[in-house]
Amino acid sequence: MSGSDQHLHDLTRPPSAAAYLAEAWRRREFAVLVPAQDLRAQNMSTVLGQFWHIVNPALLVGVYFLIFGVVIDTSRGVENFLGFLIIGVVLFHLTQRVVQDAAVCISRNLGLIRSVQFPRILLPAAAVNGQTAAFLPALLLALISVLATGERPTLRWLVLPAVLAAQFMFNLGAALVVARIGALIADLQQLLPHFFRLVFYASGVIFSVEAFVSSPGWRRAFALNPVYDVLSCARWCLLGEPVDVWTVAGLLVWSIVLPVIGFRVFLRSEQRLGA
Amino acid sequence: MNSSVTVRVRDAHVYYRVYEDPLPGLKKIFAQRQIRRRYRTVRAVRGVNLDLHESETLGLIGANGAGKTTLLSAMTGLLPLESGSILGRSRPSLLGVSSALRPALSGRRNILIGGLALGFSHAEIESRIDEIIDFSGLRDAIDRPMRTYSSGMRARLHFSIATARIPEILLIDEALAVGDEEFRHRSAQRIDEITAAAGSVVLGTHVMSEIERHCDRVAWLEGGVLKALGDPGEVVAAYLAAVPRSGSG
Repeated sequence: MSGSDQHLHDLTRPPSAAAYLAEAWRRREFAVLVPAQDLRAQNMSTVLGQFWHIVNPALLVGVYFLIFGVVIDTSRGVENFLGFLIIGVVLFHLTQRVVQDAAVCISRNLGLIRSVQFPRILLPAAAVNGQTAAFLPALLLALISVLATGERPTLRWLVLPAVLAAQFMFNLGAALVVARIGALIADLQQLLPHFFRLVFYASGVIFSVEAFVSSPGWRRAFALNPVYDVLSCARWCLLGEPVDVWTVAGLLVWSIVLPVIGFRVFLRSEQRLGA
Repeated sequence: MNSSVTVRVRDAHVYYRVYEDPLPGLKKIFAQRQIRRRYRTVRAVRGVNLDLHESETLGLIGANGAGKTTLLSAMTGLLPLESGSILGRSRPSLLGVSSALRPALSGRRNILIGGLALGFSHAEIESRIDEIIDFSGLRDAIDRPMRTYSSGMRARLHFSIATARIPEILLIDEALAVGDEEFRHRSAQRIDEITAAAGSVVLGTHVMSEIERHCDRVAWLEGGVLKALGDPGEVVAAYLAAVPRSGSG
């Protein structure tokens, strides 16, 4: 045994968390370009093609507006209900799609996982990036709609990027947790739509929690829901709807804690994912 | 000799779990109180010692289920070790007869995705994509979804991606056997390029003519244990003598 081992490194031991993150960061192009490929491939066989990325959210908002703005009136306590609705629907769907995509990101890439050694965290990261990119046209649509319904930009609008950044962070954390669970238990896919229906009503997407929930205790409980927090903060930015300190604190805590939890949860089974 | 080691495998054990049934269903959870998934531990590789040297092509032979694929997967870091160690100069590239990376996407997109996963930069892939496609010999099929490819075509594409940047250590797992004569010729050239640049190649195969054509030494795995390691002629002869053949009495 000479000094020959000096240039040999361990090929099987999992790297430290810091080294792992550094390696993932070095290969970050994967998490940007691969979802871009997928998005482009998604609508290739349709007549409208890439327009679907904007037509889809427009139809989504249209349906909700028809039902809850025209047929059933839940607009109680909201001045600009169309703006309120659009912001809610668009931001809610971002989180939903990120999480649903993350749940299948491991099983969808088994071919890749079984033939190439790369930091698997790139897969949920790609899911988050892809769905966030697909959301940008919808966000633009939401901003245009808010302007069209009579709102004028105020200094508060400048806070919106911070709110969206916080949403991105807890989306990432949720994606990491769900990616691991989804890889272990395929049933998750069946469960998620129902879970999100619950979140949908618990986030005040189509009604004002302020106006409909009278008990202050329950209202405070809503602040535990990060999606509610995002929606409320975004509506405060764009529409001047009221927001309380619990909601802001809730969003802040979720956006910091969930990515940390998610990273730890994901890393614990990283080596065995897809095996 | 010692200074020229590229991969050092020491007392490597690789076990994995085989699940007998998918997941305990509700009936089992309630009726039999079985909550955990039942599994069997397969000891696929048991105590393998191996040094791979510069400029060497090592043949890896053994019956189906002898642990060849498991050993190669562990060497590239795809499977964790139960005990022992595998050290290497750099992470080996593994070339298996795996299915498409993304069956629904075209060969061209699979090159991009596979290349990025291997750690190539986008610019690097873009600058080499023509070279990669030419090497694969699939220019006519490159924009077709990869699920329409034959196993030989998939092997060609995989080989071209995995060797786009000549790897220092290349592990080939039965990937050459599905290719045609032209592809075998091209891959032989790549193998020579790697060994000429002081790299190492491991060639897992059932085709003894490939062993004769390429290998400097041969390792024979049986039941996860290294049964013999040494001169190709001797090891192959011993292996063939040990294989029970029907009809020969």
